[in-house]
Amino acid sequence: MSLRWSGPAVAGAVIVALMAALAVAGPIVWGEAAERIDAGAILQGASAEHPLGTDNLGRDLLARVLVAGRFSLALALAATLIGAAAGIVLGTLPSVLPKRGARLATGTVNALVAFPGLLLAMFTAVVTGLGARGAVLGIGAAIAPGFARLTQTLAASVAGADYVSAARMLGVPRRRILSRHVLPNIAEPLILNLTQALGGALLGLAGMSFLGLGVQPPSFDWGRLLFDGFSRIYVTPEVALGPAAAVALAGIGFNLLGDALARAAARTTVRKMDEPPAPPPEPGEPDPGAVLDVRDLTVTFPGGSTPVRGLSLAVAPGEVVGLVGESGSGKSLTAAAVGGLVPYPGKVTYGRLHLGGRDVAELSDKELGTALAMVFQDPLAALNPALKIGGQLAEVAVVHEGATRAAARRRAVDRLGQVHLPEPERRAAQHPHELSGGMRQRAVIAMGLMGTPRLIVADEPTTALDVTVQRQILRLLREVVAETGAATLFISHDIAVVGELCDRVVVMYAGRVVEELPADRLADGAAHPYSRALIASLPDLDTDRTRPLAGIPGTQPAPDQVGPGCAFAPRCSLATERCVTQRPELVAHGPLQRVACWEVS
Amino acid sequence: MIIQNLTVRFGDFTAVDDVTLEIPDGRVVGLVGESGSGKSSLARAVCGLVPYTGSIEGVRRVQMVFQDPYASLNPRMTVGDTVAEGIRGRDRDSEVKRLLDLVRLPAEVAGRYPRELSGGQRQRVAIARALGGDPGLLVADEITSALDVSVQGAVLNLVRGLRDELGLPMLFISHNLAVVRYVADVVAVMHQGRLVEVGPAEQVVGEPAHDYTRALLAAVPRLRG
Amino acid sequence: MPDSSGLDTPMTATGTRPGPASGAGRRAPRRRTRVVVRRAVRFAVSLAVLLAASFAMIHLIPGDPVRTSLGPAAPVELVEARRAALGLDRPLPEQFVTYATNVLSGNFGTSFITSEPVGDVITARLPNTLALALLATLLALLAGVPLGMWAAVRTQNGRNRGSELTFGSVTGTAVAVPEFLYAIGLVSAFAVGLGWFPPAGKAGPITYVLPVLALAAGPVAMIARIARVETLRELGKDYVRLARAKRLPARRLHLRHVLPNTLTATLTVSGLLLTSLIAGSVLVEYVFAWPGLGLKIVESITQKDFPVAQGVILVYGAIVLVVNLAVDLLLGALDPTSAIREQS
Repeated sequence: MSLRWSGPAVAGAVIVALMAALAVAGPIVWGEAAERIDAGAILQGASAEHPLGTDNLGRDLLARVLVAGRFSLALALAATLIGAAAGIVLGTLPSVLPKRGARLATGTVNALVAFPGLLLAMFTAVVTGLGARGAVLGIGAAIAPGFARLTQTLAASVAGADYVSAARMLGVPRRRILSRHVLPNIAEPLILNLTQALGGALLGLAGMSFLGLGVQPPSFDWGRLLFDGFSRIYVTPEVALGPAAAVALAGIGFNLLGDALARAAARTTVRKMDEPPAPPPEPGEPDPGAVLDVRDLTVTFPGGSTPVRGLSLAVAPGEVVGLVGESGSGKSLTAAAVGGLVPYPGKVTYGRLHLGGRDVAELSDKELGTALAMVFQDPLAALNPALKIGGQLAEVAVVHEGATRAAARRRAVDRLGQVHLPEPERRAAQHPHELSGGMRQRAVIAMGLMGTPRLIVADEPTTALDVTVQRQILRLLREVVAETGAATLFISHDIAVVGELCDRVVVMYAGRVVEELPADRLADGAAHPYSRALIASLPDLDTDRTRPLAGIPGTQPAPDQVGPGCAFAPRCSLATERCVTQRPELVAHGPLQRVACWEVS
Repeated sequence: MIIQNLTVRFGDFTAVDDVTLEIPDGRVVGLVGESGSGKSSLARAVCGLVPYTGSIEGVRRVQMVFQDPYASLNPRMTVGDTVAEGIRGRDRDSEVKRLLDLVRLPAEVAGRYPRELSGGQRQRVAIARALGGDPGLLVADEITSALDVSVQGAVLNLVRGLRDELGLPMLFISHNLAVVRYVADVVAVMHQGRLVEVGPAEQVVGEPAHDYTRALLAAVPRLRG
Repeated sequence: MPDSSGLDTPMTATGTRPGPASGAGRRAPRRRTRVVVRRAVRFAVSLAVLLAASFAMIHLIPGDPVRTSLGPAAPVELVEARRAALGLDRPLPEQFVTYATNVLSGNFGTSFITSEPVGDVITARLPNTLALALLATLLALLAGVPLGMWAAVRTQNGRNRGSELTFGSVTGTAVAVPEFLYAIGLVSAFAVGLGWFPPAGKAGPITYVLPVLALAAGPVAMIARIARVETLRELGKDYVRLARAKRLPARRLHLRHVLPNTLTATLTVSGLLLTSLIAGSVLVEYVFAWPGLGLKIVESITQKDFPVAQGVILVYGAIVLVVNLAVDLLLGALDPTSAIREQS
């Protein structure tokens, strides 16, 4: 966990540090002044001598505010510790007790959490009587349910983890599971929460004392001083100012610090862009026959990470090009870049990115929205759970073509029928969760058919589906391509699926194309050592079971650790000195095939 | 060992419906099926992680290797501590070393944390941890489906190696028929909570008897050539 | 694609098995009834527990509540008479039955101090408290949700770090200031200082302004923070990517696609908010001398008027239960998937 010292975090830390210092030093320095009774200066407003005025015994209010810090913070600390201890015990009960007791404990916590803290605090205060003790117990009681809930949720999520199941099967005793698996993994968020709870307790106690239900004279905390000051607010409002400011400042300090700590625990680092990526080289002549024509596409992220490096490819009308690679090869970001969907702070540069002969940057939303169809991996996530299928399809026609709602809806039902969704009329009126996985993916494909798609980008569209459903969706895609003549870019990690569906295959490794070849040559004609190894490591229904499966030693380099040579060289059995230092270009390797490798070309 | 008349119910839903399956000594039984077929519920029942009716006989200890190598290792424990969890009464350090060696990991990874390892390496650690519990049966639930294909081969080879070296019976679960065929001696096909076909691997793949098995086989994508 | 594959399923047969999805569609109404019944039972149990707790409150007070209330100087006869009148001399179980039947028939006892029926006090004051809390909740939602959504869109994926920091520190500060300080600040500035608003009391719409503002200030910031987090979560989902790929205008994307998906969370939060504002109004009512339940409960506790304190706390608790039940039922009706999620 690393804290980023942003302005608010610094402010919070400084305020909390000041509060701590005040708690230690306050009574020592100003203790005497706070108790000095001055019959001649009773109930005064602000003056040079008493910047915040005096109380009904003529005591200096500024000194009293400064002295009250220790008591206020001590009470808050006590209440927090009581509340946290009670909460953590209550929260761990469900994971320790037998089933019935566990349910009772969970139910109690759920019921208590719903009750506002102040209500619990007042209940406790009535029972324990007015005074500091009652208020501390009350605020402790108010804090406890929240802590219990947090502990419970955290413990439940850890208890459901596979590593706890594994430990159980290994016969690790319960106590040890709690101490080695559960507690270490929930301690950090619990400790974080303490800071914020401390701030909350401070405010709660101030509120109780302000109502006259907390600290009673002659003791005083900030809330009590505010109680006294408030009765004079119409005459000398400044006397309420000191304690009010102290309470507010303390609350803000603890909250800002707690926020910063929580943020640090959950942070995903956003680094600064070091330098703009080098401009791509001259793209040369555009490919007149291609719907999608990409030259030197590069995607960079801050911190020197370049997941896509100077990628070029072209897709002709009616052609299905498969982009295949393992996780981290940059294939999905290539799809995102083509669709204009690379998330911030990613930067996309290209020598050429043409759709239908025109730069995508020049295309209007209407043109892009109707000409580009995208299909994602998880169709349930890709459909809006709150909207009906029909409406989600229809909106393209409404927004981009100004169609009436009725006409757009008719077209939506028609397109759902086109993708062979049974009962399209009824399906259009349903929500996504009412459809099966395969039907959902059909609906997403139908959405792409609402316009006049010239390019279909399908990013792992069958990975989340069962094989039998995958087969149907692949068949549907082929059919759609044949009907619309759209160019299709099909991204997958599964080389067998790509080989089966596609006309041409582009193999990616560490952000670059290493080989391009017709799909029917994959099995026998692949030339690049990586493509060959990938195909060899894939078991199929004819693999020799008596021999070990092939694999590739090592791992693909991360997008910020790609060296100057061939990225595959460290894992390649053919690699030479040259492969490590010089990067091979993609060059022709027989007709219709291109390979980036020194050793085979 | 033998699983007899095993049924798993979640409320009204019957996930596993009266399954009887034998896992012969020293053999790998592959269990294949699509999502919702009940194969994972069966695995969890065999491991005692979900309540079931029916009986499981002839097995002392069952250990399991899980699908997601990123969620199945405690991020705050070293590899050595993780592997040592199931070791009882033996010399801990040398035993950890032996287990790591068995899964083809260098001894020095014992001091590392899971986040420093790749997916394939983590899955080996999970296997080593399971072996430390001295299992009479190892249940492997989709252990390669979160891995890249170039890493998968090595893990599958390891699984076969363990069978040959240790004679350890295994229940190997996967949605991928080609993977199951490669690893398993016996293949069992599950569909809607029931076993629809069980037989020697080559026979189930070569001469499927059940319509569902045929449909599954036909759907497996293949390279042309 | 060469289609020699043996899978002779026609193109139209999609879901080969009745998956959980289609089953859920059919069985949803029955499940929903079951969920409603379960909620009702839970509500009844909670109410019983609440009743027991408020009954126990009086008995948990150390010593004799009547003696505590009347003070050490009160004559023994008076104390005994009061005890008998309250039934405190009977066995506990009998007392509880009497208490429960009385409460359920609307009889909350009488005040030690004013001898007014507690029920009358509550009926007279509850509407004033509810009005404050409802108005403040409404204001918090109407201001907070758009603010949070706007902040989310502006700061998505860590862009505009400056805006994010400003939003975070401003709302973080606003959340950390308790309602009674807002109240005091508003009174001193706009009532005492500028004289634009009356400083206290309830007389016409203008007297609502300061209390509602004081009560809503913190929640506006809190709702904005929650709305931002919820919106950010939605913005990262695939359906938003798909909507972007369709090149929908930003307005449509945010209002039609993202907003409905944040409603569940917003509704849950507003239920919690309403109940916490009903309790939070105690302090605001105290500052503005607002004739609501909050002012009454503070008085009753300081004056040791236990029947009133007991009655008011019971009513507060009952409101919390009712609001939570309403939110649950509303959620079940609005979000078709939540009832199903509850089952699994």
